[in-house]
Amino acid sequence: MTDNRSQQDDAVTDGGRAADDAVTDGGRAADDAATDGGRAANDAATDGGVTASAAQKHSNTDYLSEEVNLLKPSTAYMRDHLRIVWTGFIVWAVIVFGPVTMTMLAPGTMTTTMPVLGFPWHYFLVAFGAPTGALILAAVYARQRDKLDDKYGIDHSTAVEPDDSGATAATDGGQQE
Amino acid sequence: MTVPLQAEALDISFKLLPAIIVFLMMASFLVIGFVFKVADTEGMWVAGRGIGNIENGMAIGANWMSAASYLGLAGLVALAGFYGLAFIVGWTTGYFVLLIFLAAQMRRFGKYTAPDFVADRFNSPMARALAAFTTLLIAYVYSVGQARGMGLVGQYVFGLDIIPMIIVMMTITVGYLALSGMLGATKNMAVQYVILIVAFLAGVYVVGFSQGYSTVLPQIEYGALFSELGRQFSEPFIGGNSYYLWVATAFSLIVGTCGLPHVLVRFYTVESERTARWSTVWGLFFILLLYWAAPAMAAFGVDLFAAVNGISSEAVFSGEQAMSGAEGDVIVVLAAQFAQLPTWFVGLVAAGAMAAAIATTAGLFITASSAVAHDIYAELINPDATQRQQVLIGRATIIGIGALVTVTAFNPPALIGELVAYAFSLAGTVLFPMFFLGLWWENTNRQGALAGMTVGLLLWFTSIINSVLPAYVGFLADIAGGSGQALIPIYAQYVPPIGAALIGTPLVFLVTIAVSMATPEPPLETKRMVRQCHSPEPMGQQQSAEDVVADGGEEMAADGGTTADETDTEA
Repeated sequence: MTDNRSQQDDAVTDGGRAADDAVTDGGRAADDAATDGGRAANDAATDGGVTASAAQKHSNTDYLSEEVNLLKPSTAYMRDHLRIVWTGFIVWAVIVFGPVTMTMLAPGTMTTTMPVLGFPWHYFLVAFGAPTGALILAAVYARQRDKLDDKYGIDHSTAVEPDDSGATAATDGGQQE
Repeated sequence: MTVPLQAEALDISFKLLPAIIVFLMMASFLVIGFVFKVADTEGMWVAGRGIGNIENGMAIGANWMSAASYLGLAGLVALAGFYGLAFIVGWTTGYFVLLIFLAAQMRRFGKYTAPDFVADRFNSPMARALAAFTTLLIAYVYSVGQARGMGLVGQYVFGLDIIPMIIVMMTITVGYLALSGMLGATKNMAVQYVILIVAFLAGVYVVGFSQGYSTVLPQIEYGALFSELGRQFSEPFIGGNSYYLWVATAFSLIVGTCGLPHVLVRFYTVESERTARWSTVWGLFFILLLYWAAPAMAAFGVDLFAAVNGISSEAVFSGEQAMSGAEGDVIVVLAAQFAQLPTWFVGLVAAGAMAAAIATTAGLFITASSAVAHDIYAELINPDATQRQQVLIGRATIIGIGALVTVTAFNPPALIGELVAYAFSLAGTVLFPMFFLGLWWENTNRQGALAGMTVGLLLWFTSIINSVLPAYVGFLADIAGGSGQALIPIYAQYVPPIGAALIGTPLVFLVTIAVSMATPEPPLETKRMVRQCHSPEPMGQQQSAEDVVADGGEEMAADGGTTADETDTEA
């Protein structure tokens, strides 16, 4: 549900940044446009703009010349990815260390018995809640990450055989002919 | 700190049917591994792509489950109560951190072993040596826990005294290793996983059902037992098990999960980084199938222990008839025995534990031998080493480490789960920061890595010397004032060997970052390799980040530097 909103966000912030990119990237972007031919137009038609701009930004980025620093993400993709990573990480930290910390702070409340199941709350939240929570988070992350790939027009299913001469198309943003 | 050797309550005698089950289980691993190996060359692998996620998930699960999961976990929950849960949390939730920060990037980096990664990322043979040494040390400490588990459970099946039993089991392990090498049987971990999980869950379900504890969901139904179990089973933070120790233990196991070399290897064998991610999710699920059930088995075991011995639920934890450490370590088997189940069934549960321990130990020994023969001997000591020399050194390593593990297991310093946790805190302190910083901060350089790893190793060693060695070494015990004492109590309190990473990991991060900033940045080539690990562009199946970078940039990356150097395939 937050997805829509964040995509719109992106669309809005994209505006300014795309222009930026154009300026700093100089000739390269133009180059790309030339080689990519009709692909961008294609995307725009099917995805209605938002995806296309992300995908375009993706194809305009030379990932090998952008710094990698966990605290200073340098590409649009990395920024989006890290947003998912950090959100997941914070929720994870609460699920894993929250119950035990609460048990330390308020042992009386936490050790009361659960209705029906009969566990003391602290025991259940740690023995069952934390591992299960991590599993759910892991699945959510993997899904979010797949969606991110879709947004940027990256397709892993064409996964590039080393001797595949037509692989350029695939890495160029997952365009499957 | 030493724990009692023998599990008094265990029925120790030779039993034919269980012995046959153990034999069949090990034989099936070999046969299936051999058959699948043959099939591989026929192109099975390409056909198998569609099931990559689940199959690799099972492999992750099988890789993960050693005697520490199968036996040690329930033992810790039974004996240490709420503190034992730190192990459940640490050994499962760490996979999420591994998933979001390392799995896909590791897959893109494309190196198999920890020493290979460290050497290539930090351009340093010395870093390779430190990583190889750490790997060797991890294999050793990890195996001691396995040997103890094998010895204890082996007693139920074969009925020898504990010391000859450990020797026999270690001999079987080395024999298994030699046989699987001779047959060329690549371990089929998916099948191994299925066998282990069936043996374990059968134990939990049948014990729960036959004793009227549970019906369809023992993983939840054991909650009803809490009112009858001793207070210590669930009371938080009792004895020396403070909140700090709980958090330190869980933290160490979490970062250890992300730093263990044999866990990371699993990501390289998958088809793409997307599979690397989803198979982590599946792997965690398959691991949880055991981890959800382990505390249930512990609860059943504790309750049965009281009933069979005719003692009160509190007397299980203290007093003359209390459960010993050895009994806790085999609680999974004991519970089945107490429930008066047929010998062959108890044998099945025991066989699962032995199979888990033998397979894990065999894998660890291979890792250790390649660390010594390849990373230390061939790369550093004798660059002109012939294949023959390397094989010889590798075999000598296996015999040497096997003997060392056997002797240490005679008189282990802790429970199975705790012993294995020492290995985790080592991996989390020394290797995890190298992986994390190496992949997430391109300016991490050689000097930083060397300084960081050195500090990490020192911290772990001092912690072990401080807390564990006084139990063995006479003059250290004299200084400490008793064999169960630590040399420096305050250090033992804040840097316990089991939770050393809570202090150690942040310290190693700081040192690595500070030294990296004070020294020249790494070469552009290296930085580009790191960037390639984070690029969303799909990569060729056989490509490593190095190949892509060597081919010169994005456009070339596209049509995929065909790799020639796939020589260092994992053994």
